[in-house]
Amino acid sequence: MKNSAIFPQKPDFSISILSQTQLLKMVVELTRHITTLFNFNAAEAQKISLAIDEAVTNVIKHSYGNATDQNITIEFFLATGGIKIRIFYRGLPPDISDEEINVNKMIKKKKKGGLGVKLMKTIMDSVSYETVDGENCCEMIKWQKTI
Amino acid sequence: MKNFQIRSKIVNGVAVLYLKGHLDAHQVARFEKELIRLIKEKNFNILINGQDLNYITSAGMGIVMGYVDEVREKGGDIKLCSLSERVYETFDLVGFTEIYDFIQNEQVAIEKFSNISPKA
Repeated sequence: MKNSAIFPQKPDFSISILSQTQLLKMVVELTRHITTLFNFNAAEAQKISLAIDEAVTNVIKHSYGNATDQNITIEFFLATGGIKIRIFYRGLPPDISDEEINVNKMIKKKKKGGLGVKLMKTIMDSVSYETVDGENCCEMIKWQKTI
Repeated sequence: MKNFQIRSKIVNGVAVLYLKGHLDAHQVARFEKELIRLIKEKNFNILINGQDLNYITSAGMGIVMGYVDEVREKGGDIKLCSLSERVYETFDLVGFTEIYDFIQNEQVAIEKFSNISPKA
């Protein structure tokens, strides 16, 4: 694993949005632009954007219970060879589980949710959560593939 | 222009659901509503045509996951066809490509249903 200390202390870019699903597409487009400008190829930019979409969707649905007046801050840290994204929010802390997701079992249980975290972990090189004084943070890192 | 559009038609006894655009958590209720309507009307052979679908998140895939067992219990199935490489890859990331039938074009997909006879 590469050293995450290479990222700057302060974000290169940040946005704050209300907890509204109608804003997800904007977040996805913005992430795609930033990652593409930062030399991720189109396929990787698409996947990173999807991981951010999943993370913010989880915050809106699970941490904020679909309340539309709560705040979410997304910070982008850029460094040579990688990108770090931190998502700050309050509300319920994340339901963290390392249990391997079995899609066949989920189908039998007629479950509709639970795939988002699997997508995030599959796409990103690192996904971690922490809660400090009631403020939750989801941190994700993606390294560029070396040719 | 709408970010996401959905329409359906019945072709040789198969309910074909055409998804177009950007399917995320904001739009997913419309997809689920239409799928529920088809199942309530006893359409258990369901084909999702994603030719014009350019983006899907776990919210949309979760709907497919949540209803496939019900239609399979009734002798039908949910299959998918005509997906772009990008959308197919998203399904592949969660392992759906090993569980669902992904077919390259609609006509072949509809023919595949001819071997299935839904229970009354």
